[in-house]
Amino acid sequence: MSTALGWLAAVGLAAGLVMGFGVAPREVTQGNVQRIMYLHVPAVWVAYLAFAVGVAGSIAYLAGRRPGADRLAHAACEVGTVFLGVNIATGAIWGKPTWGTWWTWDARLTSVAVVFVMFVAYLLLRQAIEDRERAARYAAVLSIVAALNIPLVHFSVYWWRTLHQPPSLLKPGSSTMPPEIVAALLVNFAALALLGAYFVTRRARLLAAEEEALA
Amino acid sequence: MPDNWTFVAAAYGLAAVVFGGYWRWLARKERDLAALRLPRPSRP
Repeated sequence: MSTALGWLAAVGLAAGLVMGFGVAPREVTQGNVQRIMYLHVPAVWVAYLAFAVGVAGSIAYLAGRRPGADRLAHAACEVGTVFLGVNIATGAIWGKPTWGTWWTWDARLTSVAVVFVMFVAYLLLRQAIEDRERAARYAAVLSIVAALNIPLVHFSVYWWRTLHQPPSLLKPGSSTMPPEIVAALLVNFAALALLGAYFVTRRARLLAAEEEALA
Repeated sequence: MPDNWTFVAAAYGLAAVVFGGYWRWLARKERDLAALRLPRPSRP
């Protein structure tokens, strides 16, 4: 299953590049630098999805103490952190030519940085505690607390005056974007979601093999 | 507005390095684990 997901992700990524660079038109105000959005926006959606899976795994672990649920939570939170890191870095690269700065402490950027730091802390916590059961329990609680910040990230652009623009797609009502741009975003989201699923299944399997080897 | 292709290349290049790096890290951990599981040759 993992290999099939990997190949599907590779095909999806190739299709995403064709959509982002071949099909989607040059954006009128931003120019071609807007094409970074086909990576920046889907990366954060996949990160949110991965964190949702991680929180579900954490809750399942706290409820039933099943190691499989903890492994899924660990793998999903790790992969989500990788995708969120890509989102933040590509946002900074887009921000320099567009806003004139790599970084600014506005509400959206600050809140997303807080979530990123919390999930990095989650991964460090897992490394720091030797007792596997205790590490899993503490990490599960931390992942739930960290994920509680995600709605704050989403709504920060409505609740505060920010440099970051409000959502163009994940909002009530229909999108005002041209259909080619929406299609490019969705194809790239599907491709990155497949890549994320591939990473999560492979990492969870590896965690199971590591536990088996250490037992 | 200028196209800033350098920034576009930097963003996609960085993502390729991060995802490729994570993929290689997983592959290396799997190889290390497989090596650990190989049965040790018995002493004569």
